[in-house]
Amino acid sequence: MSGEEEENAAELKIGEEFLKAKCLMNCEVSLILEHKYEQLQQVSEDPMNQVSQVFEKSLQYVKRFSRYKNPDAVRQVREILSRHQLTEFELCVLGNLCPETAEEAVAMVPSLKVKGQIAIVMSCGLLRYDLVLLTFFFPSSLAL
Amino acid sequence: MQLHPRFFGQNLRENLVSKLIKDVEGTISGRHGFVLVVTGIESIGKGLIRDGTSFVTFPVKYRCVVFRPFKGEVLEAVVTTVMQHGFFAEAGPLQLFVSNHEMSDGMEYQAGEMPNYTSSDASVRIQKESEVLLKITTVSVVATEIVRTISITLFTMQLK
Repeated sequence: MSGEEEENAAELKIGEEFLKAKCLMNCEVSLILEHKYEQLQQVSEDPMNQVSQVFEKSLQYVKRFSRYKNPDAVRQVREILSRHQLTEFELCVLGNLCPETAEEAVAMVPSLKVKGQIAIVMSCGLLRYDLVLLTFFFPSSLAL
Repeated sequence: MQLHPRFFGQNLRENLVSKLIKDVEGTISGRHGFVLVVTGIESIGKGLIRDGTSFVTFPVKYRCVVFRPFKGEVLEAVVTTVMQHGFFAEAGPLQLFVSNHEMSDGMEYQAGEMPNYTSSDASVRIQKESEVLLKITTVSVVATEIVRTISITLFTMQLK
């Protein structure tokens, strides 16, 4: 790990590489890993033996902590979050943790406040409302 | 990527890709974190014969999904072991440790068959399988694992 600049996600100091990279929410990763697992199932009787422990644990984790299962709902969530001026990293943390209040949002993504995007924080209520609306259109998409 | 000549022939590209996937998926690095899955090949360059061997090296550009947590990041985890000096939790392949010094005031360790940490007003209990929200404070890369130490349990959600 480079020690050039002290790493701190709260201030979005995560390195150029990661600031530029596409960030994925748990529900998006879940779709990718499940797809890979299904591909393995087609060629092997025991796909769990074919994958590393890292893959297995990651798949369990993202499945457990995915808020939305339906691929269309997942796309909608990203679309809703993209309307606000967020970095990929911030977008994904919000999409994963779904804060209910502005205080929660700032606690989870401190960089929101530092960037002076109070407007976004205030509109978190609206964001939550949009995301909640999704459950009416895609009732089967919520993880249990 | 290095390949032995016996893999050459019609299936060269296939062999290269399978070897890449086998070598890279499931690995860990301090810089990129855990490599979960290769999602695509961007390009495979010209092979160069390595001096003194029959191996040929191919530069391969590929896309993959990595899990790279950061200091200061907030994420969910599942508690695995509770002890007197703290508890261990897992976020997928990532091991996390929260020492009792870093927990909110009022959290007391309770020994027993199901050791746990309970808040003074008994409204919050952290035990094995509890889902917790943690903020990462320190990072250590130990040999082939990455271990993060955590502070501050912000909000906890209980199962049962």
